[in-house]
Amino acid sequence: MVEFTKQVGNKIGLHLRAAGEFVKIAAQFSSEIRVYHGERFANGKSILGLASLAAARGANVRIEIEGPDEAAARKALEALFDAKFYED
Amino acid sequence: MPRNKLDKLNAAPSASARPDAKSDAKPASKPELERRGLSASPGIVIGPAFVRDAERLNIPRKLVEASQVEAEVARFKQALADTARELRAIKSDIARRMGEEHARIFDAHLLILEDEMLVEGTSSAVREERLNAAAAFEKVINRVIASIAGIEDEYLKERTMDVQDVKKRVIGTLLGKGTRAVNRPTEPSVVVAHDLSPSDTAQLDRRTVLGYATDLGGRTSHTAIIARSQGLPAVVGLENLVSKVETGDIIIVDGNAGSVIINPTPATIEQYENEVARFHELEDQLLTLTGYPAVTLDGREFMLCANLDSADEIDSVIDHGGQGVGLFRTEYFFISQEYLPSEEDQYKVYRQVAERMEGKPVVIRTLDVGGDKIASYLHRSPELNPFMGWRGIRFCLTRKDIFKTQLRAIYRASAHGNVKLMFPMISQIEEVLRAKEICAEVRDDLRRERYKFDENVQIGIMVETPSAVALSDQFALDAEFFSIGTNDLIQYTMAVDRGNSKIAYLYQHLQPSILRLLRLTVDAARKRKIHVGVCGEMAGDPLSVPILIGLGIDEFSVSPNMIPEVKRIIRSVTFDECRALLRRVARYRTTQEIETEMDTFLRAHAPAHNGRTVS
Repeated sequence: MVEFTKQVGNKIGLHLRAAGEFVKIAAQFSSEIRVYHGERFANGKSILGLASLAAARGANVRIEIEGPDEAAARKALEALFDAKFYED
Repeated sequence: MPRNKLDKLNAAPSASARPDAKSDAKPASKPELERRGLSASPGIVIGPAFVRDAERLNIPRKLVEASQVEAEVARFKQALADTARELRAIKSDIARRMGEEHARIFDAHLLILEDEMLVEGTSSAVREERLNAAAAFEKVINRVIASIAGIEDEYLKERTMDVQDVKKRVIGTLLGKGTRAVNRPTEPSVVVAHDLSPSDTAQLDRRTVLGYATDLGGRTSHTAIIARSQGLPAVVGLENLVSKVETGDIIIVDGNAGSVIINPTPATIEQYENEVARFHELEDQLLTLTGYPAVTLDGREFMLCANLDSADEIDSVIDHGGQGVGLFRTEYFFISQEYLPSEEDQYKVYRQVAERMEGKPVVIRTLDVGGDKIASYLHRSPELNPFMGWRGIRFCLTRKDIFKTQLRAIYRASAHGNVKLMFPMISQIEEVLRAKEICAEVRDDLRRERYKFDENVQIGIMVETPSAVALSDQFALDAEFFSIGTNDLIQYTMAVDRGNSKIAYLYQHLQPSILRLLRLTVDAARKRKIHVGVCGEMAGDPLSVPILIGLGIDEFSVSPNMIPEVKRIIRSVTFDECRALLRRVARYRTTQEIETEMDTFLRAHAPAHNGRTVS
């Protein structure tokens, strides 16, 4: 299992569209992906789960990935955060 | 709305009446009913109503037979697949017509349809509680909506709208009512709706829409913009029209007067048909002026520009002979979608407008949210007095991130045309200085990033607060041009709420106090040799045009369809007689006297066509 923490750096936080970008990437991997924010957690392949996390701009989310392609998944998701969900 | 005696005579874009409307009229069992709203797009149309979303979704709750449970789950999954197919069709349609950016939100909608919280949650509610699919789905998705709606952050909370949209589509499919795409007119009709969203109008076939009438909305609402860009009449803000009209009722939309008439009598229909015919004639005559300059009989020339809410209206500006864009309001962009437009989104649109105008000036006004134009994702809490509140430049100076993104897009667009920048709601010198500093920072950044842009983009201000007028000689040192926004100037000077009909007598153009403020502003601009225009509704009010000519403003900026009428008046008078007129009316102490004088002047010098004079 790999785990890492990332800050939500796009302008308006992990809203539906940003969550959609996350899911599009997560769905390419067979590993299980869980996203934690404060007390809540969500399946990284569920757009509604991610949108319900209330991860506003600047929030830190912890991501756990477990499965055969966990390293590649981690790399792809980190790139998504670094690109601020392609919003600019 | 300001009083405008000439409304009925204004040029209007083509309004196609149905010639057989009379024979379609229902028998006298339904009484004629008139409702007043806001004029959102001019023109008159008579036709059958098509009422959209009239029925609320009544979701039946049933107990599913144990033997039918799996069939019900399968029906639910089929409905998801059907909805997904339709969403993909809408998405590619919108991508083709409006660009990929606008279609991206549908990706999120499609992902919702696949979300296991919904798919598994609904399936198990069907299996375990033996609920019918529609009721099970509603229960599950409502839980998600409630959890998102409970988020404190306004940006994130806004997303419930998208989930609601998906909910309506899936339930519509499950109940066999078809999704909303099916709910559109098949014959030319007036679309009547509570409100229309961009995804609603994107699905309407333009050939079957004669005009629009909606319960909600203002001049800058999505419906208003779409109607103006399509040249179709629209009345918005009709409050509860949807409950008064049935599909098939004959309805008249009078976009000039801002009213609709439901089930008109044959006499009323005839009256309006005559009016439509007069419009066509007047419009034809006015359009013959398109190639001519806006010059008075004694040779004084004026810039005649257009106000623009959306790049979609640019054809109309060109068709009506606009010499530039005097005011490109950028709010629509921010309030028509559910997230902040990116720098690239904005750059594309500004660039498109600059290129289409081929070197003619395009004045882009920076974001003026607040007041009546609130983007819910931008404002965290409602204000008690929004018109006096956090709006215009005040908002942008606090939200420097949003401001800088917009400025970058505007500067980058300046490489592709004659772009100018303008700040709204200025009341203090400090605001201009601060805003200009930020512009300088943006220019530094763009230079460092090696973007091409015009280093000398002119920076002007809206003169729309009494404070800006009082200090106009000082503002003229820091601004390279003025544009007088008469709507807000009247509101703030007379301390009158534009929307309150009890005090509508105060909201008029031709008031002695307003004329004095205009004179002060124009004189200050003259003294400092800067360009001054008027972009408020007063610039398109025929009774006011001779006064503005006499004041010697440099530019009129009006709705595209008003350009020919303003030009006609300019070309019918001399600058000298307008100056003499101004000297005369400057002595009057009441609005009534000024209006009477202007009325007489216009009858004598620029009578309207068809032998009708102003009355």
